[in-house]
Amino acid sequence: MIETTQATEKILAEIDTLAGEGAFSPVALMPETRVLKIGGQSIMDRGRAALFPLLEEIVLAKQKYPLLIGAGGGTRARHAYDTALDLGMPTGVLAAIGAYVPRQNARMLQMLLARHGGIFILHDDFEKLPLYFRLGCIPIMTGMPPFSYWEKPPEKGRIPMHRTDAGVFLSAEFLGCPRVWFVKDEDGLYTADPKKDAGARHLPRIGARELLAMDLHDLIVERVCVEYLCRARFVREIQIVNGLRRGDLLRALDGEAVGTIIYRDG
Amino acid sequence: MDDAGSRTDPRPHLETRLARESLVDRGLVRSTHTDVELPILPDAYMVGLGGASVMDRGQQIVRPLVEEIAGLRGRYKFVVGVGGGARVRHTYRIGMDLGIPTGGLAQLVGAMEECNAILLQACLAKHGSILMAREHFWELPLYLDSGSIPIVISIPPYHFWEPPPEHGALPEHGSDFGLFIMAEVLGMKSLVLVKDTDGIFTADPKKDPSATPIRRTTAAELLARNLPSYGVDREMLVALSRARNLLRVQVVSGARRGALERALAGQDEGTVLTRGAS
Repeated sequence: MIETTQATEKILAEIDTLAGEGAFSPVALMPETRVLKIGGQSIMDRGRAALFPLLEEIVLAKQKYPLLIGAGGGTRARHAYDTALDLGMPTGVLAAIGAYVPRQNARMLQMLLARHGGIFILHDDFEKLPLYFRLGCIPIMTGMPPFSYWEKPPEKGRIPMHRTDAGVFLSAEFLGCPRVWFVKDEDGLYTADPKKDAGARHLPRIGARELLAMDLHDLIVERVCVEYLCRARFVREIQIVNGLRRGDLLRALDGEAVGTIIYRDG
Repeated sequence: MDDAGSRTDPRPHLETRLARESLVDRGLVRSTHTDVELPILPDAYMVGLGGASVMDRGQQIVRPLVEEIAGLRGRYKFVVGVGGGARVRHTYRIGMDLGIPTGGLAQLVGAMEECNAILLQACLAKHGSILMAREHFWELPLYLDSGSIPIVISIPPYHFWEPPPEHGALPEHGSDFGLFIMAEVLGMKSLVLVKDTDGIFTADPKKDPSATPIRRTTAAELLARNLPSYGVDREMLVALSRARNLLRVQVVSGARRGALERALAGQDEGTVLTRGAS
């Protein structure tokens, strides 16, 4: 029989020290990667008119930066969620079925970018990213994180809290990237949904804590992204870019302050 | 870009109540709430065997427990999850020193649970256990109805995508949480966590002789005590406080003969954790 030995106790104490305030210093694995999300409802569902010009920008950007693309879901994901909700399904089942539409969108992006090096990758392929970048590829994956049935229920409701924004944010955080880009169909963050509220005010730059404190009824990014930004080790900024305006994505990837930047404050 | 910001919408939508809506909108999110969700496997139980508290202690604890589990077969439908234990801690110890990011640590430790799952499977194989890979999730009804004992690893598949922790640097979605959330999504009857203490104590009873057991409490009450360690994952307690279907978690000692069965039978044993008022 193996006792809980002094050695184990020592390891636990060492973990406490290593995890202590300010002690842990993780390595940024691939910080030069530009991780970006292509919106589902906001871009993919608009079809050729919205997507083709954006793909041209992506091909140009690829000449300069290693790009990792995560795809959003959109109207088919909403249909799947709605059907699941109607049948009384729990959050984890919604998260599991919510994975399929972003995967379809990722595959469509791959087909359209194939001749420029687009490749479809799975979560399990993440460790091969260095190879893909070295070969000049554009890896494209679902934006959804792999939580699936293990997605935790939110405090209220059954919509999974971690969807494609969260997955893309967490990809960037794991890779040690200082910024992550979300390509949507608005000029960024507004005080309300500009599609519905003509009085909505644009916020070009705002701190994550400040934004949470505003307690907005709606947001252009999943709330957990803003919460995680407050305590992330690497990601310092989320940039929301209007993919419908020509050139904005390239400008954003080059570091220009277009759209909205949500930054880590404090 | 003509339509951005305007009310005309050129997109082909599938007409559902979620079409065109923001899934971040508070009112919409709240409108999807129900107190009871479809219980998928309501007759089944989840049994978790601790890594450090059970598996690492070797035959003295594992052998009698294996006999007890074998004896429960056919009388209860249950899934057995295993933790990783000392090797997980050692992985954290080395990984943190090397600067492996939190998501990397989360990705690494599952392998240590796989080792224990294989060991347990070897012990229980002649009693009808079956080592279940995650991809076989929907084969659970088949296993349970045939009287098999599915064995799973506990940690949730968050991998590199483990969210940045609220406290410290270690992944917060651990083994207790993983088993809880699997039991919750399937709407199981209860989760029984088999550890090496007779439930949850006010402090670690192995170190502090003045520690007293907490026999019955709610997730919120336990969280409000703000203990340095709860003996179970904090995230599991948060998840229990929000549970829809899995309203009871019991923590029992693997060294007490019959404790697991008493817990499955719904009797008082160890610590009974309930969701409390939602």
